[in-house]
Amino acid sequence: MGGWFRKHTFELVLIAPLVLYVLILTVAPIIDTFRLSFSSPRGGFGTVGSYDFIFKDNVFRRAVVNTLIVALLSLALEVGVGLAIALALHVKFKGRGFVRTVLLVPLGVPTIVSGAVMLLIFARSGYMNSVLGLFTGLIDKIPGVHLTWTNVSWTAAGGTRTILTYAIADMWKVLPIMTLIFLAGLQSIPEDVYEAADVDGATKWQRFLRVTLPLLIPYFTMALILRAIDAFRIFELALALGANEPVLGTYIGKRYLAPTNDPFTAAAASIVLFGIIMLFIVLYLRFVARFQVQR
Amino acid sequence: MSATAVRRTRRDPLEVPLKVSFPFWVIGSLLLVLFPIYLIFMVSFAPGSALFGERPALVVTNFTLRWWREAFKAGGLISPLQKSLVVASATTLLAIAIAAPAAYVISRLRPAIRYTIVIGLLVTRMFPEFTIGISVATRFAKFGLLDDYLGVILAHLIGSLPFIAWILVGTFETIPIDLEEAAQIDGASRLGTLIRVVFPVAAGGIAVASLFVWLYSWNEFLYARLLTTNQLTLPLKVFQAIDRGTKQEMATIAAILTLPILLVVYFLQRYLRPGALTGAVKG
Repeated sequence: MGGWFRKHTFELVLIAPLVLYVLILTVAPIIDTFRLSFSSPRGGFGTVGSYDFIFKDNVFRRAVVNTLIVALLSLALEVGVGLAIALALHVKFKGRGFVRTVLLVPLGVPTIVSGAVMLLIFARSGYMNSVLGLFTGLIDKIPGVHLTWTNVSWTAAGGTRTILTYAIADMWKVLPIMTLIFLAGLQSIPEDVYEAADVDGATKWQRFLRVTLPLLIPYFTMALILRAIDAFRIFELALALGANEPVLGTYIGKRYLAPTNDPFTAAAASIVLFGIIMLFIVLYLRFVARFQVQR
Repeated sequence: MSATAVRRTRRDPLEVPLKVSFPFWVIGSLLLVLFPIYLIFMVSFAPGSALFGERPALVVTNFTLRWWREAFKAGGLISPLQKSLVVASATTLLAIAIAAPAAYVISRLRPAIRYTIVIGLLVTRMFPEFTIGISVATRFAKFGLLDDYLGVILAHLIGSLPFIAWILVGTFETIPIDLEEAAQIDGASRLGTLIRVVFPVAAGGIAVASLFVWLYSWNEFLYARLLTTNQLTLPLKVFQAIDRGTKQEMATIAAILTLPILLVVYFLQRYLRPGALTGAVKG
């Protein structure tokens, strides 16, 4: 054993800082938060008081439901729109290189900036109403058609409309990455598969449904799993766009930070969030596995 | 032969609608992705009067630099800007120093062990930042690391190390082991080989990985929020403006936060590959 250590001193010295860092500042805190979630403020471990408290809390329940809706909605939106943009960029057309470059530029835009800009767009006197007003104004010019748009406050309203702005903000922020993933997927499909489909007389729709989509499944999996982890953790966007429609992230933040200052219930809620993320990944992998077997 | 020919000449029902809608499809994509970016900069240069009214104008004709000047003068932007710059740069340097040697070792392990370690590292990213952050922030508070550069740097390393180690393992894997053996036959020590042969060959990968870490730290909000009461970073400053600032103030600070990122991404596009990217730009 001592000989092994001596023989591999060089490797051990190189890898030790990373391993120690992850153990001390990632693994240990995770265990510590688990412990906190089962502890009570007066000391003592082994109580479910915090879980009991949050599950009885209406705000928490609402936050769980909202988180699920926002995450699933934004995943569906970003997969759909990301794929649509990737399909357009996969077609050869004049200026494609330029369009592709420009579309990828917002890639690293901070989440909080996405929140700020959606606030500009969806506020009561915001640009969404300007755009919709412009469109209805144009349609109104058609003889015999009467259409006007009444301003709507999307963010402050609460309920479905606010949830929708969360999902749109989340979608917009990740569109460049989703486009990039699906573009890579489309480029990985060999041309002769399409040629074979053409020989069989497949229509464009059949080609898309029977060739493109099944061959993209690994890319869907990659995109969905990576994004799902983030989508359920939504925090800044909900913070920026409307405090009155809670998600789990903002709920945890409210419990932990001043003036509540309660790390115990915050820890419990964060464990619930982790459980939801794991559950989604397990369910998705099961579903995809079954789907692939059936095929 | 004739059967396929007949099939091929049959009209595809989607042919015409696709052809007609295609330009709108491309233009729509461009608008969807770029309009919000345009809006941020437009509002930050717009005179106050342009934003009033029920339906603010989509195009502003007379620009003003007033909000940018005010942001730097009265907004107290210098201190957050400095904190964000120092934290992002220090996080990047430390992340490379810790992750690059380790990634090299991992890349030279047997595949089974290598993938176990890499997957183990990535699993840590499945936990909500809060699950890690609640404990970390509680401890850091006891050590006086709140409102301190070091606290945020340490927290940002938590988020970036697993990811950067993963990218770098991929980079080092592509470097042939013969190269190292050749250097060692020439009398180089193992450390000398690593520093003078392996790292220079991997410089491209290390540069891209550094960039992702820098962007991650520059954008990071949650850990910074948990570890800060009054010494804000730039993303926290944006939130402060969202919370209680004017539209222009919010747009200006958001523009200042976004500008370096747009430039960096524009100039480094050719290095961007989906595999290297998906984890870097996170929610």
